[in-house]
Amino acid sequence: MNKENADTELDATCELLSKDHKELSHIPDEEIVTAYERIRDQRDSACGGHTYPNIRRLYGTPLEREKDRRQVRSWAAKFRTEMQEWYEMARSQPCTWWLKNHLVARHAFNSCIACGVCTAQCPAAQYYKDYNPRIIVDVVLSGDEEQLVELLKSEILWYCGQCGSCKPKCSRENNLMGLISSLRFLAQLKGYHLCSIRGRQQYAARHLWGGNLWNRACSLYFRNVDAENHPDFGPRYAKYHSEIDQQMTRLGASPDATGQFGGRKVPSETLDELRACVAWGGTLALWNQLEEDAFEDAQKMGVSIDEYYDRVRSEG
Amino acid sequence: MVTAAPISEPTTKEIPENDFFLTPSCILGAINPGTEVLISRIYQLLGLRWKAAGDRRESECTCCTGILSHGDIMSMESTLLVVARLWSIAAELGLENITTACVTSFAIHTECLQMYEHEPDLAQRVDRWLQEACSRRLRIPRHVVHASDIVYRYRYALARSMRHRLVEKKTGRPLRIVDHVGCHYAKVFPEKAVGGSDRCDVLTGMIRSWGGETVDYPERRHCCGMGFRQCMIRPNRGYTMACVLKKLESMEPWEPDAILTNCPGCNVLLDKEQWAVRQMTGTNYNIPTLSYAELAGLLLGWNPYDVVGIQAHTVPVEPLLDKIGIPYDKSEEWLPAGNMEVT
Repeated sequence: MNKENADTELDATCELLSKDHKELSHIPDEEIVTAYERIRDQRDSACGGHTYPNIRRLYGTPLEREKDRRQVRSWAAKFRTEMQEWYEMARSQPCTWWLKNHLVARHAFNSCIACGVCTAQCPAAQYYKDYNPRIIVDVVLSGDEEQLVELLKSEILWYCGQCGSCKPKCSRENNLMGLISSLRFLAQLKGYHLCSIRGRQQYAARHLWGGNLWNRACSLYFRNVDAENHPDFGPRYAKYHSEIDQQMTRLGASPDATGQFGGRKVPSETLDELRACVAWGGTLALWNQLEEDAFEDAQKMGVSIDEYYDRVRSEG
Repeated sequence: MVTAAPISEPTTKEIPENDFFLTPSCILGAINPGTEVLISRIYQLLGLRWKAAGDRRESECTCCTGILSHGDIMSMESTLLVVARLWSIAAELGLENITTACVTSFAIHTECLQMYEHEPDLAQRVDRWLQEACSRRLRIPRHVVHASDIVYRYRYALARSMRHRLVEKKTGRPLRIVDHVGCHYAKVFPEKAVGGSDRCDVLTGMIRSWGGETVDYPERRHCCGMGFRQCMIRPNRGYTMACVLKKLESMEPWEPDAILTNCPGCNVLLDKEQWAVRQMTGTNYNIPTLSYAELAGLLLGWNPYDVVGIQAHTVPVEPLLDKIGIPYDKSEEWLPAGNMEVT
């Protein structure tokens, strides 16, 4: 194919970038994945072939989300890993079963002498007046299924900042940060996260951090942190970010380019290994569940999945 | 002005001398790329043997999954596998020590190590899954340390190469630097932090050896409020701002010349949220916030804009440079094409 034909074909592929979920839903999986990769992998010949100018056009788009949900579904079906089946099975077990069997939960909590030192140290307890980590501990200690379900449906489950300030002070060496994270994982597997505003935000988190990891091998892409979404960072940051590609290059980073540091584009071979590790660890069971729940919730709200995504990340 | 209480704590942590696989940081790479590259420059200067990626296309470095793990969308088993893959690349390169640019990565790698100690047969299972997933084998590293541990270890050697000291040039006054150690460096595994969680010395040790004065301000150990889902999902960001305000109010009576951090998230938020705090409270704290790598780079005499990247900061760093006597050319701050005015 000569360059002119290749450019025309790429232009046609790029038209997918303006389509929403509904318009993309008629296109077969393979076509969506191939189109995405063709856009992503186009090099900028003017910069020695090291930069990939289209990556910036893909992140956060309905096309990337649609590609990811199809690809994750397909990887999950292809591998059927032991841990994926375990998490799918765990979904229908009681919460008390999870506490005894989940890898993190069963190592996180030893015993509690109710000293309250976790609460005294907790930044979230100082900020959210209706929260303290002992609420979580009390419910876990109760072993009461109804109370656990209520906790998983609550807003307070999502208040912990995962800083670990409670950990070094606990005389029983409990890992409340790990316990809370494990409970949040369970809340999502069971769909209880839909009962709270902060729980619903997990759909945005899945496509923000999950999309970055799956497609760019990092959890935060430098273009996510733009001035529009970070007015709290002030005008100097806005100025810096307006020059982000050039400033990063100046400092030795690799914005959307091959390299070792910030913003680098990793080879597809590395991405394949990373994705296989994520799949073998069972995470795709959660991602598929989040997707299924989000579609149902969106339908109940009478909005499209793209509108739902925008809603949950700005709600609160 | 309140009198400063000096901090001195011996270190008991075993920090390896050489042979490091350096894992990059998602937050540094995205928001503060200067620090990440500076770590590699400091390693070069010290003549250390290190690498940040394997030699094959499938052996490049990836995220450790830290943000996803603490953001509750990644299973522990996936994290174990992603980290095991990184360890396998290190082994492929003959490097037996992991050094992370990010403190959450430090805690994640350390948690994986601890999980293998606590869970019978886990290593065997992860090894089997890793072979199935990407034909690699689980290779447990000898040490997992944070890049600030390395700088701490070599702080006196670096001091000998420095052109400047943490001293006010005009008066000879030691500069007063308040530290903020990342929670995931000192609190998650306090036994793995230089000096432990309460009296962590990783940053104060650098400050003292480079000529500055340290302060044990009341909220020194309080979290910056990064919180993963708290700072990165916009409606939750009030939590972050409240934590930053609490820290600033606590350190302000000591009139610090700068804040020093070792955590990518803390460095970003303690610096950038000062602007939001000013908008909300009317108080302009205006305390320059630097990572240990940025501070080392500036004292070594590296270019503030081209190498250290102080232009990425919300609170201007130039007043600190003036105090120390570090030369800079303000016209180099922004690039020629940039034309947005900053107020």
